[in-house]
Formats: sequence, C-alpha cells, structure tokens
Amino acid sequence: MKTTARLLSGAAFTALSLGAALAADAPAEVDTSTVARRLTADEYRTIITDVFGPTIELGGRFEPELRVKGLLAVGTTHVSVTSAGMEQYDVMARAIANQVVDAKHRDLIPCRPANDKAADDACTGTFMAKVGRLLYRRPLTDAELKTYVGAARVATAETKDYWNGLSMSLAAMLSSPKFLFRQVAIVPEPGKPGQWRMEAHAKAQQLSFFLWNAGPDLELLAAAERGDLDTKKGLAKQVDRMMASSRVEAGVRAFFIDNLGFDEFDTLTKDAALFPKFSAQAAADAQEQTLKTIVDLLLTHKGDYRDVFTTKKTFLTQELASIYKVPLVNDGPNGAPDTWVPFEFSKDDPRGGILTQVAFTALHSPPGRGSPTLRGKALREVLLCQKVPAPPAAVKFDIVQDTNNPLYKTARERLKAHATNPVCAGCHKIIDPMGLALENFDGAGAYRLTENGVPIDTSGSLDGVNFTNSAELGKAIHDNPASSSCLVSRLSSYATGRPIDTGMPWAQALLKNFSAGGYKLPDLMRDIALSDDFFSVTPPDTKAAEAAAPNQPAR
Amino acid sequence: MIGKVVRTPKSLFRTGLRAGFAVGVLMAGVAAAPAHAVETRTFVIGWFSEATYSQDNDCVGGINPNIDDQYLKNLADLGYTPSQIEEMAKKELDGENSPIRGLMTSRARVDGKPANPYAYPAFVVDPKLKSSTSNLAYGFDLDGKPGPVEDPQTRQKGIDNEFARALGCMRSFRGSLESRPTYYAWAWGQLKDSMPAWVVTISAESLSKDGDVTVTFDRAFEHLRSNADGSPRADATYRIDPDPRSHNVLHGKLKGKELTFDTPVDFRLMQNPLMAPMEFKMTKAKLRLTLKDDGSISGIVGGYMPWSEFYLGLGTQGPGTEYCITGDIPGIYYLLKKFADADPDPKTGQNRAISAAYYLEAVPAFIASESAQATQHAPARE
Repeated sequence: MKTTARLLSGAAFTALSLGAALAADAPAEVDTSTVARRLTADEYRTIITDVFGPTIELGGRFEPELRVKGLLAVGTTHVSVTSAGMEQYDVMARAIANQVVDAKHRDLIPCRPANDKAADDACTGTFMAKVGRLLYRRPLTDAELKTYVGAARVATAETKDYWNGLSMSLAAMLSSPKFLFRQVAIVPEPGKPGQWRMEAHAKAQQLSFFLWNAGPDLELLAAAERGDLDTKKGLAKQVDRMMASSRVEAGVRAFFIDNLGFDEFDTLTKDAALFPKFSAQAAADAQEQTLKTIVDLLLTHKGDYRDVFTTKKTFLTQELASIYKVPLVNDGPNGAPDTWVPFEFSKDDPRGGILTQVAFTALHSPPGRGSPTLRGKALREVLLCQKVPAPPAAVKFDIVQDTNNPLYKTARERLKAHATNPVCAGCHKIIDPMGLALENFDGAGAYRLTENGVPIDTSGSLDGVNFTNSAELGKAIHDNPASSSCLVSRLSSYATGRPIDTGMPWAQALLKNFSAGGYKLPDLMRDIALSDDFFSVTPPDTKAAEAAAPNQPAR
Repeated sequence: MIGKVVRTPKSLFRTGLRAGFAVGVLMAGVAAAPAHAVETRTFVIGWFSEATYSQDNDCVGGINPNIDDQYLKNLADLGYTPSQIEEMAKKELDGENSPIRGLMTSRARVDGKPANPYAYPAFVVDPKLKSSTSNLAYGFDLDGKPGPVEDPQTRQKGIDNEFARALGCMRSFRGSLESRPTYYAWAWGQLKDSMPAWVVTISAESLSKDGDVTVTFDRAFEHLRSNADGSPRADATYRIDPDPRSHNVLHGKLKGKELTFDTPVDFRLMQNPLMAPMEFKMTKAKLRLTLKDDGSISGIVGGYMPWSEFYLGLGTQGPGTEYCITGDIPGIYYLLKKFADADPDPKTGQNRAISAAYYLEAVPAFIASESAQATQHAPARE
C-alpha cells in the first residue's frame, strides 16, 4: 500500500514537474504551451463542489496567491507550485479521493466493480472519463484515460481493494497540473494559415471561470465539442444562458473579492482594546455586506455601477448594526447566526456607498487607528486605477503613527506635519485629501465626529472637484470618468488574466459601450465575453518550441 | 426592493449617529415614561453583582479559610480526631477518590444519617464563619433608622447592607466595584450568556437638566450581545419581553449626572435559575444611577432580598462550585440567616430578608418593540 501510494504521488509530482511535456497527450494540432493560470483556492473549491458535491472536505492548505497589477487573477499566470505546495495539493487530492469512494459518497460512481477486491477497467474507465471531463474541463485523451485506468489497476492489485485503487488514481488526477492549471490551448484557425485561435474547451473554461467563477458545466462543454463556441451565434447563446443563470452572482462576487482585495481580511487585525466591536464575525460580515450591496445594485437591480459609491441601500447583520449604531432586530433564536436584513440609510446620513462601509474603512487601516493615506492610496489604485508610488526608503512615520501627540490631535494635523518632508509631500498631496474625507470613520469603520476632542475636517478635493465629507467624496468618485474606465480595465484584466490598461483599444471600446448602456455591469460582462479580444491568443513560437523539444513534430 | 427599518425623523437620526452613541426608544406600551418626556436613553445591563467594598482589616482575625482548610475544620465538627484528619489530609483533597470530598458532600446529619449538606444546610454543624466588621458598605438607608454603616460614595450613614457584612469575609465575595468579586465574575459570566438580557430605559424631559426622571427595568428577548473580548457590546438591539414580572418602574430625580430614586419599590427581574434564584427580587428597593461621559451608566440598587432564595442559588450548584468558587456553602447559609434583618417569620421570628446592594453597569442599546420594529431616538454623547 505504501509503495503504491508513493508510486502515485511520485507520478503526480513528476507530471507536474514536467508541465511542458503535458502537451504530448494532447491532440497533435493543439498547443498547450501558451498560457497556464493556476486555479485559485476558490476556483478549486468550486470545482470540487460542482463535481463531487458540497459534503466533500478539502483538508489542506492552498499556495499563497500573487497579486499582479492589482489582481490575483492576473497573478495566476505568474505563479507555479512549490514543492511544499505540491505536498498540500497531494494531501487535498488524497482526502478528496478517499471521500469520493467512501460508502457515504460512493453513489457518485456510476457503476460497481464485479469484485470489490479486483480491478475493473470498464467501471474505472467509465468513472474516470466522466469526472476527468469535468476536472480537466475537456474530455480525457485516450492516452490519459488509459493511464488513469492502468494506475487504478496497479493500485488495486497492490491493495486488494478496488475502491482504494480507484481513490489513488483519482488522487493522481487531482494532483495533475491539467487540473490545477487552466491551460489555454490554441489551434490553427481553419482556412487562415499562420493564424491561431483558442481551442473550444479553453474558450469554455475562459467563459465559465469569468462568468461563474467555476469550471464549465456539461452544457458548455457540449457546446464546445459541437463547435458552437467558435461561432458568434453559438457563443452568444451560451453567454446569454450563463448570464441568465443565478451562478453569475458567484462570478461577480469573485471579481469584486479580488478587485477590492478582500483576501487581505485573512491577515487583518485590530486592537481589541481600541475597537472591541471588531470581531472576527464583524470582519466576515463586513465583507459580505459590501458584496451584497454590490450584487443587489448591479445584478439584482441592474443598476449603474457608479452608484456603488453613493447608494444608501445595503444589508446589515446585528453584528454590523451595532458598529453602524443603528437598530436592527434579530428574529432568530438566541445563539443562532445573525440574519441579513435589507437596510437603507437615510438621505442625509453620512453613510453611503461602499467607501463608507466597514469593509473599506477597516481594511485600509492599521490595527490601532484609521489611515487617510492607506485609504487614499486604495481609492487611487483600486477604484481609479492610478499608480501611487511606494514611499521612499528611510521615511519616518513616527509623527503619523503617534495618535496621542498633543501637538497633532487629528490625522490631518499629523499628516501636515509629516508632509513637510518634500520627499513625502508629492504622494501625500494626491492621496491624503481623499483619505481625509473618510476620517469620520475610525480604524474599525465606526462613525466619529472628533479625534482627541478636536472636530474632524473632512474636506478635500479629487481631480479639481472639491468635497466636504464622505458623501461628497462618493459623489466625486461616482462622477469621475476614471472610476468607470478603471472598472472596465480591471474586469477585462480579471477575465483574461492579463493586464488590460485603460488606454488599450479593446478597453476603450468596452468603455464606450459601458457608458452608452448606462454603466450596467452585466452588459459589460457580456460585452467582454463576446469580444474577440477575450479569446485572443499568442501564436506559438514554433522555432523556439522545436529547439526546446527537437523530437516533437513541428506544428 | 430593499426594505427599511422604521426610523425617527431624520434630524434625530442624523444627530443620533453623529452623536456617536445612538439610543433606542421603548415602544408597544411597555414604557412608563411620563407623557411629557422628550428624551429617552436605553441601555442593556452588562454587569450585575453584589456591590462590594472590601478593605484591608475589615475581617477581624483574617478572612475565612480556603476550602481545603475549612474542610479540615468541618471534619473536626463531624467528630473526627486530629490524627484521623491528618491521615485523610495526606491523601487527595479533591476528586472522586478523595475521602474528605466524600465526607464533605454528605456532611449533613438527618436523623443521624449522612445527608446532602447543600440541600439540608440547617442539618450541618454551623462552621461559624467570620463576617465583616466594616462600617463602609454601598447601599441605602432602607429602614430610616440611624446606624453606623456609611456608603463610601454618598457618605450617607445608616446604610442597610447586612448582605455585605454576612459575606464580606468570604474570599470569593470580596472585591470592589472595579475589582470584581470572583463569585460574581463567574456567575455573571454564566448568566449573561444563558438568559435574556436586562434593559434599562431612562426618560426625562431633558437629561441635560435637573428634574424629574423615570427609569424602567425590563427583560429582553435577546441575550446580551458581547464583543470579541467578552465585554458587553454597545448599540446592539433588544426587544422587550412584555412579561410584567420583569417590568419595574421607578420615579426619581436627576441632578447633574446623578439620578436618585428614593421612593421604595418592589424590584423583580427574572433570571436563569441555573445558578441563581429564578428571579432577582428586592423589596423596598431604592436606586441611584450615574450618567457617564462615555455614554454608559452605572449605579446601585439596594433593598431587602429573600436570603433563602439567594442561598438556593448557591446550594443547587453543589460541591463543585463550593470547592472551586464559593467556599463553604452551608456556612454561607448560617451567615445569611444570622444577618437577615427584615421580614420576620410570624411564627418563628426568623428574618426572611436581608438588606443588600447590587452594582450594575449598562451600555447604550437600542430597544425595539416586541413586534420587532426598531426605532432610533435621541443622541447621547460626543
């Protein structure tokens, strides 16, 4: 048993190490060497849930993700798998596979072996072909299927247990880079010598991960295999089907989780003595509040994207309501989880838009105080796609961090003193005025009027537009053309996994349509999904490929 | 379409939010605020315990022994010889195999037979535990008679608080308002998470100027909501349970930030009988509260408490609590019985109530009607 385990684990690892050799299994006209995007943790979980059901537990840790150009999605093309990470993938693969074949889940397997103690290639082949198509997001090649059936046969012989053998083979499949990476295969464009296009299954996964944050469903795979995705009409039919599905909410959520940097909540801490209400539950609820606000406005009501910066409508739990200092009754029994309740702040309430929500103000604050600088930087970079240079080396932050300095009682005063250093002044000039508008919200997002007994001045300006408070800041961002062009850039980058700058022709075209249509997010998503640029590929460097693999036939 | 929580006029809402601490309004007929009241603040009680004021040297000869030593004394009371006691003391003092523990959990004698000492404390030899000799104790002059005991806050003399005297030399009942007694730190920690919260509503024409004021105490449907560190969470929302047994109305005066309620009332709040009487109950109760700068309140409620019910709250917890928390439980029975100072039994003459004072702290909260529509009201601070 141990021997077999090592054998399969080693096989999986070897396969991963030899990523370039994977193409050997692919049809001769397919090139898989162009782009590979490592599955995010969320994508991995979703696929496992979709294929094997929600009761399967993963039982491992994921490799850290990498943020590139503001997005983890772009970072997925820049990351590999470390040996430690591979061990974790292997742990998860074994845990998942063991559960899939256990008595509780065995109904997932569409056949039964003739003998529980002997291999059954037919049954194994049926099962592996079925799940392989979903895990690899394409049908297994004959060679791949033969390999996995053979692996199960060997393992069964070693262990005298069919289910054990099947589990080990499935674990190997789950450890394969063909599962762990989204490989973008390309094929020659028919009738256009020298031109290439994205292979249909790659298109399918491009679509499904963008729109649903999940692997392709059976209908999309079937459409790919029929060639529907290679036609405008067939593509549009699938995109419209997917956009009409409730699963599109998961896609929207995944994008905003990435774009707003909510992964940083994993390491966010607050000083409990200063912010006793900021519990782990409050942090989780804060993220969910912003996501619910966005989904409700942009998907449910198909609203104007820019209104996310001004909307008074949101959702609250009792945990959050006490931070916002608004009444909210929990109808559930004592001890039950809080309930989400739709909530609307009054017109003249200082709360409005996601910038004034706990998720934004708390996330962009250090543990013990608020930070106009971090908030302003996030506003510039995340919401307006403007680059803020990193602070120069050896800058002293002591004045900014000392919130008890009797000379500088407010953040504005501290920053003013800090920015007397000309090296610092340049950047603070562009980020602080925006961040200072949010100073009515402390480091955990609670509203306040004063700091150290001194009234807080929240006035400032953004690109020539003056504002006096957070509500007016939200309006200024709402009206700033950079906010909508930034969304277009970020969403198209997220969809493709490569940076799409606001000035690129495709982004310009998308923005034009986005603007003309009233800044509707679903329309923008559809526009992206139907774009040629969404599926654009880089032709293979045939000379380099030949040099790297001289024994492979030239394509 | 997003629904809305019912709100008060926006000017109040705006002020409430910007004031930092929003407060709620009592609704659905449960409030007893005067008709002219225009300002109401609501709170949830986050701490409730005996008001202790332990000082050095307030127990002549030192405080009562720890439970291990007390058990050795109790063995002597049961007739064991010093050598027998010494032999038993060499063995495990606590746990199932402890001979002493076995003897102590059956140290009552009913018709000469061992019996449960917590259920039959009167059948245990009185261990004659020490009581406090201090003349400083929180509370009120309940009987109108002069006396030596002085309240350390108000400096009023003639304070009736025999409860503090009775338990003042028990280790786990010693402490101060700031340094919480062990017993209450444990008991309140259990109670607050296992029973509906207690809410307080203060109403007056203006809480910024001196005048008449009304306070109500009620029980909520919801349990006390806590912060991550266990402290009571401000600005959470509670609905009032209309059960009249926990509805208390007191009329008093506001002067500065001090509220005094000198007209005696019967005071009742239902609580979890798991480790306390089924209800906290006082007769001829008086109250004083302080509006604190941070928006919270604190205060003292004092009155006559049925001591046997308090005892039963301890007695039902049995040996584990006696060993780990309270100290000699039958001994406490005798202390309470000895110092009881009110409500004599017509037949025996034994007083059935003991004067006492409890300390409370409460943080701002929203109060909603039973029908779950929350409404926000007036400002509190900043």
